[in-house]
Amino acid sequence: MSFERDLLAILPRLRRFAASLSHDRADGDDLCQAALEKGLRARDQWQPGTRLDSWMYRIMRNLWIDEGRARQRAARTFAPEEAGADVGYAGDKAVEQAMTLSDVDRAMQALPPEQREAIALVLVEGLSYKEAAAILNIPMGTLTSRLVRGRGALIELLGEAA
Amino acid sequence: MTDIDEAMLIAWVDGELDEVTRRRVDRAVAEDPALAARLEQHRRLRARLAGHFAPIAQEDVPASMQAMLASPTVVPIARPSRRWAWATGGAIAASLLLGLGIGRMTGGPDGPIAVRNGAMLARGSLATALDSQLASAGEGGSIHIGLSFRRKGGGWCRSFDGAAMAGVACRTDAGWQLLQAVPGKGQASEYRQAASADPRLLATIDGLIDGAPADAQGERAAQAAGWR
Repeated sequence: MSFERDLLAILPRLRRFAASLSHDRADGDDLCQAALEKGLRARDQWQPGTRLDSWMYRIMRNLWIDEGRARQRAARTFAPEEAGADVGYAGDKAVEQAMTLSDVDRAMQALPPEQREAIALVLVEGLSYKEAAAILNIPMGTLTSRLVRGRGALIELLGEAA
Repeated sequence: MTDIDEAMLIAWVDGELDEVTRRRVDRAVAEDPALAARLEQHRRLRARLAGHFAPIAQEDVPASMQAMLASPTVVPIARPSRRWAWATGGAIAASLLLGLGIGRMTGGPDGPIAVRNGAMLARGSLATALDSQLASAGEGGSIHIGLSFRRKGGGWCRSFDGAAMAGVACRTDAGWQLLQAVPGKGQASEYRQAASADPRLLATIDGLIDGAPADAQGERAAQAAGWR
């Protein structure tokens, strides 16, 4: 009972995190839904007294990484024979992206995954470095260097340079 | 002021600096316009990103996700069942409840219910309990007999209460016919307490009973006569 209630309470933030990782809102909700399913299935592994939001952020982030790897594998596998189709598709995608995605979305998309997730946890979700490093399972120094590089790229992409 | 690096500037923006280091950055920024501009860039970036995604957390969560987290103890069939039972109190409710709640039990060779000529008949341990157990004797076992009573138009009926189900059965030529069954105490469901006190069963009994339930003597006599 209270597990579901607690999940519901943090769901708006989980959805926001999913959106900041994903290409667009629809992808974000798909990711969020998948993370919810996984969290509900794995509920016995969550230890009461620990933070449910951190646990769910980690589940979502791992799903997102796995999904990205699967997509890369598929791209490598099918690229040679479908190169022509891919070019057309990529073109459509680019047009669609230009029309529907904002500058911020596009800039986030341009970041390498390890920078994007660090930025999303700290700048969007407002977590502390300690919390974010624990979720990503990386040392604090690694987190801060990813934050520095990611932010440098975003400033360039967004034209925030003074 | 070159000892202030980029990591310290963003840590300042992220609120991650200790008091001493934060003051050091503050002093450096105050003396170095380029450093101040860079700090301002980082401050704006964080505000822009946070502001861009913030509205998502204010939106209503999609119904599909809410449904996944709906309390599992809300049993959708409970409400309509109860309403129908109150409204009709009879065979329709009985057959629906049986179909939804204990239908699978009728399939097994040892289940407590058999369906014959369209009627649900007690069998096995349930039939034995209805035949032989005396409510007044407080006999134990997996099934408890609640009330024994004569129905309007003649014939005996008994209410029973078990772990899997509770119900009302009336004696016919073919055996004990179940007129109503509801999930028993063993199936914990929050919307009801002791199965024998279930308002659905009580309503059914109220509709059937002719006069008052049998006392201990009447029950023994009825049993001796084979509930005919």
